[in-house]
Amino acid sequence: MEKEVYYITAAELAERGRDGIPDELQSSKHLIYSSPATLSFNSPGAQGFGVKRAGLAVPGSVELLVAPGCCGRNTTMLSELGGYSERFFYLLMDDTDIVTGRHLNKISKAVKEVVDSLEERPSAVMICITCVDALLGTDMDRVCRKASDYAGVPVLPCYMYALTREGRVPPMTAVRKSVYSLLEKREKKSTTVNLLGEFAPFLDDTELYEILRGLGVKKINEISRCKDFEEYLSMAEANFNLVLNPECRLAAEDIRKRLDIPGIELTRLYQIDKIHRQYELLGGALGVKIDDGKYYEAAMEAVERFSQKYPETVFAIGECLNGGSFELALALLRYGHHVSEIYGTVSSENFIYIKKIAAISPDTRIYTNLSPTMLYYDCGEGKADITIGKDAEYYHPNCVNVPWNQERQPFGYSGLRHLFEELEEAMDKTAEGRTR
Amino acid sequence: MKGLLKYLSPFAPDQSGAASVLYELGGITVICDAGGCTGNICGFDEPRWFVRKSAIFSAGLRDMDAILGRDDRLVEKLKDTAKKVDAEFAAVIGTPVPAVIATDFQALKRMAEKRCGIPVITVECTGTRIYDEGEEETYLELFRKFAEDQKEVNAKTIGVLGATPLDLGSIHADREIHEVLSKQGYENVFCYGMGSGLEAVKNAGTAAKNLVVAPAGLKAAQYLQKRFGTPYEVSYPLLGEEIKEQLHKLAGKKVLVVHQQTAANEIRKEIRRAGEADVTAATWFMLTEEGKEPQDVQLTTEKQFAEYVEQGGFDVIIGDRLLKRALRTYQGEYIAVSHFAVSGELG
Repeated sequence: MEKEVYYITAAELAERGRDGIPDELQSSKHLIYSSPATLSFNSPGAQGFGVKRAGLAVPGSVELLVAPGCCGRNTTMLSELGGYSERFFYLLMDDTDIVTGRHLNKISKAVKEVVDSLEERPSAVMICITCVDALLGTDMDRVCRKASDYAGVPVLPCYMYALTREGRVPPMTAVRKSVYSLLEKREKKSTTVNLLGEFAPFLDDTELYEILRGLGVKKINEISRCKDFEEYLSMAEANFNLVLNPECRLAAEDIRKRLDIPGIELTRLYQIDKIHRQYELLGGALGVKIDDGKYYEAAMEAVERFSQKYPETVFAIGECLNGGSFELALALLRYGHHVSEIYGTVSSENFIYIKKIAAISPDTRIYTNLSPTMLYYDCGEGKADITIGKDAEYYHPNCVNVPWNQERQPFGYSGLRHLFEELEEAMDKTAEGRTR
Repeated sequence: MKGLLKYLSPFAPDQSGAASVLYELGGITVICDAGGCTGNICGFDEPRWFVRKSAIFSAGLRDMDAILGRDDRLVEKLKDTAKKVDAEFAAVIGTPVPAVIATDFQALKRMAEKRCGIPVITVECTGTRIYDEGEEETYLELFRKFAEDQKEVNAKTIGVLGATPLDLGSIHADREIHEVLSKQGYENVFCYGMGSGLEAVKNAGTAAKNLVVAPAGLKAAQYLQKRFGTPYEVSYPLLGEEIKEQLHKLAGKKVLVVHQQTAANEIRKEIRRAGEADVTAATWFMLTEEGKEPQDVQLTTEKQFAEYVEQGGFDVIIGDRLLKRALRTYQGEYIAVSHFAVSGELG
């Protein structure tokens, strides 16, 4: 019995190339270990927004989960979160339903019963369906139209199809499209912009707000900041969309086609020169010059302060965090630190970073949270001064940790600055603890 | 409307019950799902997951695996894992996905045993049923497969069936049971599923008696009685002194106890110990004839529960905190006794 944890060094992986990713790093090639680390990002009960919670992003909406009881089990936990307990309803399938699809005939009636039971009429009812309907090939658009006619409220589908997680339209991509699908064409306002992609607002001091206002934008919409359904509908007045999460590309494309609102995609980055370059490109696309000097300096100051205080810090980086594990690892290496371990999902898109990581730090070990061999991970093997990510904390429980998975979303220079401030604070606290 | 939950959330499903029984037996447990069911089991229904490791894995099924019925891929993944993970056996647990595509679990078992070289059991869960059904089937599968014949009965050995955190609301319930049974003179306590490994299952025939602490263990006890002649007793030895004291004050009142049947019966017994009381046991789970009183109720829908309480005129209701959400008009006393399979809260 080997009892060994699988990992590969950055150099070995880079050498294999994007077409040579080992089977151990491909989740479709092995059983999946859902350790507490994995659960923090890869389960229906994951922290943050999964399909069920995301489906309720439309203000005033409620959700009916139509599924076997097992699919709604973790929602008990979600219902305990503020504001959700009165918004989740369930139509449970029995053995006959899952074979015959008989449950589809009950949905309209169930929607009406839910709507009638509420003191306030919901703005929409989201119907969340799961693997069973994926396999039955349910035409959910038709089912929703029928339910909408019967109950007199908009009814929309949310596809929680775990079976299609690595498919063309994964569940978190589909739900993003769903939550914007109630927007209807309105007259454009040249001074209105939508920020698409997340289900919680960006940090208030994100420079993007100030930059946009500096360009003459008067109204910046985010679905999570919409106070009511009318404000949500006003997102259709935007002149353009900024797409801040790649999982929102499909939704942005749908909005472009239906409402004629174009979109520009921006990426969350932690390499400061790349953030600067991205703003240059955004300025180019908008035909203006963006002055990001003061934000750059503030972020750089936070990076340098940390780096001077804690030079050559050794990091271990997880994937349950607001950012890309490999891009963040590369950023930290470029700021002069070390990265001993990365727990991440290797895909061909990450290879651009993996190659650069390999050039700076060839011995960085790359693990996958999902490998069954992680059952034997021993935190004594790898060295780390600090971990980033909730999952990374699981592997090094005695190490300083910055979870960096907060609901309020970091972005740009502000995100970089906040990250380094949190890192500094966490290291300071530990240092204080040691001196006491 | 049947199946519609407006106030409650779904209870722990059959696959969680199955995984719970297998948790400490040292096997590889494969949940035959796309990932979500395993996430629910490990992240919500298995409180031991965060303190004690167990080789529970998701099959990681994808749409084409299900559509094309690629069981051979699952077996290859299991074979690969069996080489890397130390395990005496493997168990494959069903979910809605294999239920929809009608996976042949018997064939899967035979194929997996042949390819992997270790014993394999399968539990045909569907995700539409409740945890105790999954537990019941798993106990039976385990004893059928692993219990060994020709063992001498040891008067100091007792088996415990139905002990899982889902039923008992504690991850240390086995220790408490040990303590109680040690005081009764038992030296070997086989607490199947909690605290005892596969060896105990193999030696089940040596037990002088079996104690059933939840209805999910009853059929296994009956099976062991038939196979080894082991007598069994149904009781719940886990009520603490604090709750007992509280229950004694309920004598003379009209009380509804909502829990798993064995726990509910013990609560009823404890109330009556202090004096006469009109106590009804109700359960959303298995209601067996053993221990059932004529007034006891099988709960099936939220509406039925609410109406029953409304018409019942109960002074006191004892049940999980979460159940109170369905009782919008009830004004009487409510004593919260957690049931992990309902709220996911430990006692």
